[in-house]
Amino acid sequence: MGDLFSNLGLGFGVVFQLVQWTPAFLHGVSIPIPVNILLCLIGALVGTLVGVLPGIGTIATVAMLLPITFGLPPVGALIMLAGIYYGAQYGGSTTSILVNIPGEAGSVVTALDGFQMAKQGRAGPALAIAAIGSFFAGCVATVLIAVLGAPLTKLALAFGPAEYFSLMVLGLIFAVVLAKGSVLKAIAMIVFGLLLSMVGSDIETGASRMAFNIPELADGLGFATVAMGLFGFAEIIRNLDAGGESDRELVQQKVTGLMPTKKDLIDSAPAIVRGTVLGSILGILPGGGAVIASFAAYTMEKKLSKNPSRFGRGAIEGVAAPESANNAAAQTSFIPLLTLGIPPNAVMALMVGAMTIHGIVPGPQVMQKQPELVWGMIASMWVGNLMLLIINLPLVGIWVRLLRVPYRLMFPSIVIFCAIGIYSVNNAPVDVVLAGAFGLVGYWLIKHDFEPAPLLLGMVLGPLMEENLRRALLISRGDWSVFLTRPLSAVLMGIAAFLLVLAILPSLRKKRDEVFVESES
Amino acid sequence: MSDTPSHAPVKSIMPSWVRGPQDFIGGVAMIAIALFALWASSDLQGMRGFSFGAGTAPRMFAFLLLGLGIAVMVVGLVTEGAHLAKYHWRGPLFVSLAILSFALMIRPMGLVVTAFAAFLIAAMGTAETKWKETIIVGMCLTAFCSLLFPYALGLPLQMWPKFMIQ
Repeated sequence: MGDLFSNLGLGFGVVFQLVQWTPAFLHGVSIPIPVNILLCLIGALVGTLVGVLPGIGTIATVAMLLPITFGLPPVGALIMLAGIYYGAQYGGSTTSILVNIPGEAGSVVTALDGFQMAKQGRAGPALAIAAIGSFFAGCVATVLIAVLGAPLTKLALAFGPAEYFSLMVLGLIFAVVLAKGSVLKAIAMIVFGLLLSMVGSDIETGASRMAFNIPELADGLGFATVAMGLFGFAEIIRNLDAGGESDRELVQQKVTGLMPTKKDLIDSAPAIVRGTVLGSILGILPGGGAVIASFAAYTMEKKLSKNPSRFGRGAIEGVAAPESANNAAAQTSFIPLLTLGIPPNAVMALMVGAMTIHGIVPGPQVMQKQPELVWGMIASMWVGNLMLLIINLPLVGIWVRLLRVPYRLMFPSIVIFCAIGIYSVNNAPVDVVLAGAFGLVGYWLIKHDFEPAPLLLGMVLGPLMEENLRRALLISRGDWSVFLTRPLSAVLMGIAAFLLVLAILPSLRKKRDEVFVESES
Repeated sequence: MSDTPSHAPVKSIMPSWVRGPQDFIGGVAMIAIALFALWASSDLQGMRGFSFGAGTAPRMFAFLLLGLGIAVMVVGLVTEGAHLAKYHWRGPLFVSLAILSFALMIRPMGLVVTAFAAFLIAAMGTAETKWKETIIVGMCLTAFCSLLFPYALGLPLQMWPKFMIQ
């Protein structure tokens, strides 16, 4: 317990760190600046700004804004990225409440009742409850990360290569089972990602693999490049198909009366608590994430409600529960990343990408060797949530105005912004072309109902899986049964196999689809 | 959203024995990717005793993808599924052109000219573009990016065309 407080203390110390700024024109007088808090604030603001734009999801937002953090020191960059992530998520829910165009799957459920509330002129309370619920969930999740962080790290240190490999297999299977759509196609996407990660030079032998003597491919496909193409450019192209303007209706031109009534608060309080609990659990599971959490929370509220017919017609619980769950899961999904070094979903995969660029390999070692980095990030999560609550409600007017920017002006701006961002990573024009190519690949994938998110996950896990598989087999002298004879590894593999069977069984498939279909009926 | 393909009986270019054209084509494409990867990694060394060669993992993943691609294709053959979605050419074409011209121009022409030109090309991606406002917004965005990236973020970007600097 004492550990917990000292760790959190360390974290908050990092977040509130003051840097003395001594500008020349002040003649030696220095001004203390809380740099990390400022970065967190800027991240949350910029994240919301981009996340609010209709049709741009959380992954796309984080991918697009990655390059702007490259110039910062590692701690600052990660704090800012975390801020961007929450901001993007909150921005997405604002869009789904006000225009009924959810930026990504996670906000689909919020749109159901949130948009109905907005139609009834209650957009203000819906936005406020979303913010309050998210903040509460954020507080709980922050404590949870701090509590679970240290013990899980100890567990992780006991892992050998065989266990790590099995854990990654389990994580990927979870990602498939908890995702929407065809299991087979999702696995195909993961393997495609694994295959893409093989491009470049082999770590062990140094041999060039599938690089075709193109110098820019010698170091492998840039992670930021692929992410920006698959999520940034592909989304833009797809949104152009949808016709941009025609289906965008802003129900409430002006958001007034932000404060929820007492009845609203009483109605939504239990929903927020339930959503937070459910979201926290689903977030920790490898592969789980914000999407399934919000769907599950909504379904649960509907089942528990005395009057389920209210849902879909502007029930405030229908906004409170998924929004809290969404945010709780978004944060607890940092747990597997920080303790085990395994990204549980695509956004966390992006985080790994960012860390790698700063020379940090996430995992138990980081927790021990660079505690200020990890705990600073954890503390910044709480600060970030507080900021979202403070900045978003007063700034709702600005977000609403942003929603009115026509798509015909927005999309070329995003294209240019992304292009400059990618170019600036390595100053390589080839990267821009590659991202464009991946944009077309992403467009094709969407048209064929392949989810691009598992691909990203596979791409990040590819090198890790190869390395651990290699080592495990070297230690066991080529004996593949090592994954089943080591007890911990066997348990993990067993769960993975069990889950896969469950997902394929027709009756359970139906149940799983039911959770997702909820939104369409 | 219109990207979920409609189930309405559209005139399909696929033969009638393909019952789920979307999955069928998807599977075929995965098979093609897997075969390509197998060919591309064929020159790499395989297993040496217990230890992996450079080509072991790529080939393993490629074979896995091959199997999955075949499975997706078979699903597309035997189960009733979605038809091919409608592709639009305008958006993809002009966005790709904008990206390509950005990549070609950024080195010789510098950020200001490149960003503005690519903005205008991208704007052609939709029929709704009104040129007057597009040019104004394009200039504002170019100005914004020229301040943000080199100055606020400190990235080393060349601003003006090479021939103007010399």
